[in-house]
Amino acid sequence: MKRTMTIICLTALTGLVFVFYSAAYAAKKDTRRLCLECHKEVDGFFDKKRVHKPVAGGQCTACHNPHASKHKDLIGADREELCYGCHPKDRLFRGKVVHQPVVEGLCLECHASHSSDNPWLLRGKEVELCFGCHKKEEIQGRKFVHPEVESGRCTTCHDPHGSTLMGLIVKENMCISCHNAGSDGLKMAHSGLNVKGTRCLSCHSPHSSDNAGIVKANVHKPFAEKRCDVCHEPGSKEVARKGYNMCLACHDGTMQSFYKRYNHLMAGKEGNFCADCHTPHASDERALLKDREDKTCWQCHEDTEGFTHSARYVHPDLKKCLDCHVSHGSNARYMLTAGDNTCSMEGCHPSQGRFTHPVGEKAIDPRSREPMNCSTCHNPMGSPEEFILRAGKVVELCIKCHQI
Amino acid sequence: MSSNIVDAVKTNVLIIVVLLVALCGGSAYGVETKKVRLAHLIATDEFMGRFNEPGSVFYDGLKKRLYVTDSGNKRLVSFDEEFRYLSELSHKGFSIPLSIVKTSTGEFYITDAETGQIKFVDVKNRTIVPLRIKGMDEKERFVAGRLALDEKENLVVTDRLNRRILVLRRDGTLLKTIEPGVEGLYGFVDVKVDEKGYIYAVDTLGRKVYMFDRTGKLVRRFGADNRIMRFPVSVAVDSRGYVYVLDRHSGRILVFSGRGDLQYLLLRKGVSPGELYNPGYIYIDVEDRIYTIDGNRVQIFVEGDQ
Repeated sequence: MKRTMTIICLTALTGLVFVFYSAAYAAKKDTRRLCLECHKEVDGFFDKKRVHKPVAGGQCTACHNPHASKHKDLIGADREELCYGCHPKDRLFRGKVVHQPVVEGLCLECHASHSSDNPWLLRGKEVELCFGCHKKEEIQGRKFVHPEVESGRCTTCHDPHGSTLMGLIVKENMCISCHNAGSDGLKMAHSGLNVKGTRCLSCHSPHSSDNAGIVKANVHKPFAEKRCDVCHEPGSKEVARKGYNMCLACHDGTMQSFYKRYNHLMAGKEGNFCADCHTPHASDERALLKDREDKTCWQCHEDTEGFTHSARYVHPDLKKCLDCHVSHGSNARYMLTAGDNTCSMEGCHPSQGRFTHPVGEKAIDPRSREPMNCSTCHNPMGSPEEFILRAGKVVELCIKCHQI
Repeated sequence: MSSNIVDAVKTNVLIIVVLLVALCGGSAYGVETKKVRLAHLIATDEFMGRFNEPGSVFYDGLKKRLYVTDSGNKRLVSFDEEFRYLSELSHKGFSIPLSIVKTSTGEFYITDAETGQIKFVDVKNRTIVPLRIKGMDEKERFVAGRLALDEKENLVVTDRLNRRILVLRRDGTLLKTIEPGVEGLYGFVDVKVDEKGYIYAVDTLGRKVYMFDRTGKLVRRFGADNRIMRFPVSVAVDSRGYVYVLDRHSGRILVFSGRGDLQYLLLRKGVSPGELYNPGYIYIDVEDRIYTIDGNRVQIFVEGDQ
């Protein structure tokens, strides 16, 4: 009896060991063969020039769960977690500027998970991928195109993941890594001035322009006329006058637009309030703005930028600050273009004032004792509530004034 | 038995919730929020109508009068010691009256946002005359921002264009230029002087308060965490030497010791009376009452619950 029991136990143990090793073998050593039994399409992965390392090693289970998963394609974890598990986000994609798909963990927007004919397992040609989100006509679509842009080599200048520099630029002084700033050719092109140490992008578009030399679209008149001496000491980069006096020597009349109840009349970051927002040479933006409208404003209003970024709902034209606000000065609160009537300007919200809830003098906010306007209930800068309401639309908003 | 247990659990949960609410409600980012009492609110009155973008206030402790520059209505409005409307001065010389001070001899000075000038207001003769600054190069640009009086009743004014503060005799003679020339200074938006003659100025974009001694030497500059001190727009000092910084974006007042240590916070964001939504100016009178201008209302607070 005892012997029989021993045999049974040994047999069972051997069976268990066999089953365990078979499973382990199937899972670890040859999942590829196992998976291929059903997933014939996997064979095609190996026809491509570049194969993802776990795929090449037959480690399907590095990413997929063979049994069950709450994620699509039986992925073993969130796609973000999955990629960053082997490609650590903090180490590889750090920088104060991080590409939005990286922030959102959308690695597969650009990269193929199994194999690709393109470098870095890219889903397509580099330039095609970039133009999937970034408008081609704005980058390549003008008369004079930067050669690297024309050949679609975006990553020559931009890091697609993260950078310490704005615009995901690869390194400081990017331009001079190809263009010799001290060369005679460059000197000739700049009226004999040695441009070493200057910011190329203050005049040139890095992508394309309708102006020769890829000079940005809007050009300051003296600059266009090559009358550098209007602002600079002859033959020098030094400006002829100090700070804002340089600008006001010609634009004195503009000062009047600042003399308002609320204004941007202050020394600012540059010590010259004009130069805080405008560039003296050329810009792709209107009014020779230094950068895109929202970026120009947010360089000082960073708290507002942070607030808008954290809001669930924002005004759809939030980045067009100057559609609603005046840049120099206004007697209206928040420097609004048309005070309480700003929302109905240029047909944006024609129903303003004729909407169901009364506004204006006939509807005084009992809390602030001021006439109601759109912003009494809506916060265009951002809100966690739908319709950028200041509180929940079901009850919370109404009971702020209407007690129940 | 079981209902007793349920009741006990309910009571405990309630206590925990109350404690949590009390803890969270009483502090922000680990800084205590103290209570203040709203003593008065001036916004509209059947005689004076409604304010239109008031710019600043000044309280005359001797005559017990409150003066408010009503920028949008181009007038100067006065109130008695119980903050009842008394009278107003409208004048074509008031373009956009912004800041105001009154000397012990009854002279008013205002700054005008439409011209960037300091103006002398002769209430008796109802004349308003721009103050010519003597001792400054005529070509030099200067745009007057906020005004304060020092202990000798000299005019202390922020120069919005030049990251500096000017100290002027009341006849306009330039006595001193305070220009710290330090990194990270963007410009002064408000200035006040305490009883000892220390000058306090606030730099909104730099998120700092600057403290100068009476010679104009920078004594210290201080601020707080960016999450608390988000957009400081005005500064005031009480009789203890505590520095009150009005923060527009957070709707709070940050109270610092004279050494620049954040002590506590006052108020919270909101549009109801006793709250701050888009405040622009703070002032503390000789009786340590705190005045804030928020939209079209002037609120007067007294520290403490009672």
